[in-house]
Amino acid sequence: MRVVIGEGSCGIAAGAAKVHSKLHELLEGTDISVGIAGCIGMCFLEPIIDIYDEKTLLKRLVKVKEADAETIADALNKNDFEALKKYEISEDDSVFLSKQTRIALRRCGLIDPESIDAYTDDGGYSALKQVLTSMTPEEVIEEIKASGLAGRGGAGFPTWFKWNAARKSEGTEKYLICNADEGDPGAFMDRAVIESDPHTLIEGMLIGAYAIGASHAFVYVRAEYPLAIVRLQKAINEAMEKGYLGENILGTGFSCFLKIKAGAGAFVCGEETALIESLEGKRGMPRLKPPFPAEKGYENKPSNINNVETFANVAWIIENGGEAFSALGTENSKGTKVFALTGKIKRGGLVEIPMGLTLKEVIYDIGGGIRDNREFKAVQLGGPSGGCIPKELLDTVIDYKALSATGAIMGSGGMVVMDEGTCMVNMARFFLDFTTKESCGKCVHCRIGTKRMFEILTRITEGNGKEGDVELLEELCDGIRSGALCGLGQTAPNPVLTTIKYFRNEYEAHINEKRCPAGECATLRTYSIDAEKCKGCTLCSKKCPVNAISGVLKEAHAIDTEKCIKCGQCKEVCKFDAVEVK
Amino acid sequence: MSDIINLIIDGKSITAKSGDTILTAAEKNGIEIPNLCYIKEMSPYGACGMCVVEAEGMPKLLRACSAKVSEGMIINTKGERALKARRIALELLMGDHKGDCIGPCSLNCPAHTDCQKYVKEIGEGRFEDAVKTVKEVIALPASIGRVCPHPCETACRRQHVEEPISIAYLKAFAADEVLKSGKHILPEKKASTGKSVGIIGGGPAGLSAAFRLIGNGHSVTIYDKMPKMGGMLRYGIPEYRLPKAVLDTEIEEIRSLGVEMINSFTLGEDASLKDLSKKHDAILVANGAWKSSSIRCPGEELDGVFGGIDFLRAVALGEKPDIGKKTAVVGGGNTAMDACRTAVRLGAEEVSIIYRRTRDEMPAEDIEIEEAMEEGVIFRFLTNPSEIIGENGKVTAVKLQVMKLGEPDEKGRRSPVPVEGEFITLPLDSIIIAAGQKNDPSGFEEIETTKWGTILADEITYTTSIPGVFAAGDTTNSGASIAIKAIAEANEAAKYIDAYLDGIEIPYKKPVLSERTVTDDMFTEYEKHPRIKMPQRAPEDRRNDFTEINLGFNEEEAMQEAKRCLSCGCHDYGHCKLIKYADEYCTDCKKFSGEYHKGFIESKLEIITRDQNKCILCSLCVRTCEETAKKGILGLVGRGFDTIISPEFRNTDIRSICADCKKCVEVCPTGALKITE
Repeated sequence: MRVVIGEGSCGIAAGAAKVHSKLHELLEGTDISVGIAGCIGMCFLEPIIDIYDEKTLLKRLVKVKEADAETIADALNKNDFEALKKYEISEDDSVFLSKQTRIALRRCGLIDPESIDAYTDDGGYSALKQVLTSMTPEEVIEEIKASGLAGRGGAGFPTWFKWNAARKSEGTEKYLICNADEGDPGAFMDRAVIESDPHTLIEGMLIGAYAIGASHAFVYVRAEYPLAIVRLQKAINEAMEKGYLGENILGTGFSCFLKIKAGAGAFVCGEETALIESLEGKRGMPRLKPPFPAEKGYENKPSNINNVETFANVAWIIENGGEAFSALGTENSKGTKVFALTGKIKRGGLVEIPMGLTLKEVIYDIGGGIRDNREFKAVQLGGPSGGCIPKELLDTVIDYKALSATGAIMGSGGMVVMDEGTCMVNMARFFLDFTTKESCGKCVHCRIGTKRMFEILTRITEGNGKEGDVELLEELCDGIRSGALCGLGQTAPNPVLTTIKYFRNEYEAHINEKRCPAGECATLRTYSIDAEKCKGCTLCSKKCPVNAISGVLKEAHAIDTEKCIKCGQCKEVCKFDAVEVK
Repeated sequence: MSDIINLIIDGKSITAKSGDTILTAAEKNGIEIPNLCYIKEMSPYGACGMCVVEAEGMPKLLRACSAKVSEGMIINTKGERALKARRIALELLMGDHKGDCIGPCSLNCPAHTDCQKYVKEIGEGRFEDAVKTVKEVIALPASIGRVCPHPCETACRRQHVEEPISIAYLKAFAADEVLKSGKHILPEKKASTGKSVGIIGGGPAGLSAAFRLIGNGHSVTIYDKMPKMGGMLRYGIPEYRLPKAVLDTEIEEIRSLGVEMINSFTLGEDASLKDLSKKHDAILVANGAWKSSSIRCPGEELDGVFGGIDFLRAVALGEKPDIGKKTAVVGGGNTAMDACRTAVRLGAEEVSIIYRRTRDEMPAEDIEIEEAMEEGVIFRFLTNPSEIIGENGKVTAVKLQVMKLGEPDEKGRRSPVPVEGEFITLPLDSIIIAAGQKNDPSGFEEIETTKWGTILADEITYTTSIPGVFAAGDTTNSGASIAIKAIAEANEAAKYIDAYLDGIEIPYKKPVLSERTVTDDMFTEYEKHPRIKMPQRAPEDRRNDFTEINLGFNEEEAMQEAKRCLSCGCHDYGHCKLIKYADEYCTDCKKFSGEYHKGFIESKLEIITRDQNKCILCSLCVRTCEETAKKGILGLVGRGFDTIISPEFRNTDIRSICADCKKCVEVCPTGALKITE
């Protein structure tokens, strides 16, 4: 028997490593081994333990704590699983995985990410072998073309086209780069792939390098992903040892070297030309396009850049054929897409689904709907570059075109679900706060424009909005979209534009009535005590940090709105739900 | 593939070389595409977003600095989308640009005299240059320098350190120096146009217009009612403030240009407006405001009641008005001060000022009030004449209503209100009413007037209801004001008269300017150097005669005073590309104002001073230093909105690396970089 603990960053954060060492201690000397796997994507259930007999999954235990280790070890030793019942994943929650179609994430959470043998045992590197021994680069590109694979980093540009352009670009020195500078708040699928299945990335990259004719490749990964860097480096080392990487790969004469470059934490370095600048050791700022990287990229040599998820699909496509991939999805969006489902959702985590599902299916069928029985309000797709989609459009299918039509974008797959308590103006402000801080400062429209948008949104949420502010925002959005130099700036207005489009009334309520309909904007809130409900327990008046609540024991209390700083502590402590917020 | 590409830019079919950018192709064909971060010697950068153009069939705007031409391309450089993106870029830049294009001194001067320039010239001992600079705007610098209530000083930023620069007196000093040397700085006269202009009124407005117009080649005749030219400068300003000999010299300079000056001319008697209109190609009405206003108080008809300016005029004409031993002047303006101090000099034993508000509200200049006090004038604040009492038709006293200040109004101004039943009786031999002045419309009946009876003149072109007749100064619109305002209007009127005579129209657009809002705490780094006090005769001495009370600066004092100037106005104004484009494209430069990026002035490279407040991050300096000078000293520091350009390796001795080539200063499109003075 094998005990496998999900140890991606998320699992570790939830306590997986502690459970691991405890189990290791308890099971030492038995024939039960304790190993690790990466992240299976069920964040809401971490830490997760899988119990295998050889390759058969016997049990999946969830939300396991260090204190549960003894019970588990005991049950395993006795081979009596009765005591494990309470840890087993529920049928409801199992739906989260069973409704998915996993290609990019196919091995995530299932194999040991720190062992190349685990990868090859599962058929890994067979696609590479096939490519190097039986396919020309052109055939590889044809296969990718047949698959319809598009860039999963956000823009959705056909992968084969970029590969072909780099292949055809003049020059013998070419570079392949993997963009692992995953920066959208709420998106973490790239991290999961690297932490959970690094060889899939390496294999996909090697196939790409062969296709374009590159003998050097880089993975540009953000420094905030230390575990991913460690595991990827280990994978690179092992692949070098086993001859899958480096000089004369598998004796075929093809050579390719792979290096990791850790980014320094700039969101804009996810933009391909800024990434190249950073890779060259310069300040991460976007370059003018044209020339495109396929023509002049790293060190002004032809280069191709793809995102982690894109590469993670490549080996599968070679193994199963392009047509198998394009059989999934819609007319113009093929294959699957990974989403990081977060926010006010019951079951949050990584979800890989075929294109063409509706948002509703993902949010309700897989995600289980909204937490705490609240109302769904909107979903933000594509992070700071994306937009929100309201309830009325929940039947929108997941497809590049269909999503763009709503004003949102597919993006890299961030899917943040919001409920009725989310203020849409404040949400737009949150994203603009992000883009303002992450703007590199190069072009005028983005540098100053996003700052001004943020300032206007801030004053609206603070009750200082002026008549005409919405129009001013719209004008800025329009100007920034058409004038900004790179994707960061050009898409920065999206959260503002979509919230104005679908929730203009919320902006107007803030500006005209100095009211936040969602009740989220603190300065616009008014707290009062319902005298009927108040029992005069005095708890709130004791808790109030500014002594704004008066009243005697057993009589209804009252809040002095002049003194009230709207911290909300009274509402939190009230046991009778007597504090009202408007 | 052919090396020659055919394309269309702005409807013009052109050819370009394959590989050329749209910007290069346009430039070669005389089509200008605006840009701020581009110079052709360097690789394109794409930061400013100004060179965006529309290409047919392309949803996105193209940056002309980097987008290459292609066969059959149709480019529109002036499409609505491109113009809008440029406008927004500029409005964003202007909203984050902290600098003064023009110093507040010059902006606040109605005539926009280039104060900063001539003060600097005085500081460098270049007095002739200074006078030349002043005369670009003011034809009578020695006179105006003495009498101007100097709005320039009111706005002077030096007051945030300690006190404003003594700009007006510096002007008088420079003009005096040049006059003393016997030099006359006059405009070079352009070739004769054969056109003639008649000017009615030889005061500051009329003389200024004559100075401009004759310089432009027209023949000019001034018609004036009084025996001598100078208008209110001669007949409204007492000798002790402006010696008439100084005024005479400056008028003679103007006459020497060939201006014909006709005095003792009364319109309607000697000739009518129509007659003059026939005689000249254009007329400028600048006859001033010479009638004292009434205060509508019983007893104003009594003997011994004088109008303020009537009184001053009489004295100027050499008359000795009988004011007796005890007199009072009603009013709180500069005319009231001139009148009371003149009364002192005429030998009155007790001279009072009657003013219905307090000293804080007095419109007269502080220095004038102080000097009057020094000369023994009694100030009776919060009093207002309710009746002038007389016996046998002659003034014997004035009954004064005691006033108090009421609640402040919306503008914070507290109006005086009577304290019911409280009166004071002040025995007097005479009373001078200096409560404002009005124009006299006789002779101008054909011209449309305002409801106040002043001549209605267009506030930009100074045209009146009669074609070819222009009007400026105290006689127009809102009426009497200060001399420099009349001069400002006359200068503008002269410009439009010029255009009228040439048969062209000058389109008017208010220039777009960047202006700072400042607070005292922004000036803490400056060392304090108090303003140099104008040397003066002692009060007990000066109150007995009409000799000029100011003794004037000496050279050392003037230069020292001039060096206090903070040089607020941007050295680059006139060359600045940012303001040039803002002027062309912006509709509202304050539209996107908000917090400013962090700004400070640094000079780590010693020979170069960088004002971060004005930097637009075009990076031309960074790139020039790297690509042209091959030094690479400069770099971008920080992120996003607070990115600045700074010498890299900030802790090493970068000064020794700099090649002193100053190329960075040359390429800077704004005034952010300058050679350290």
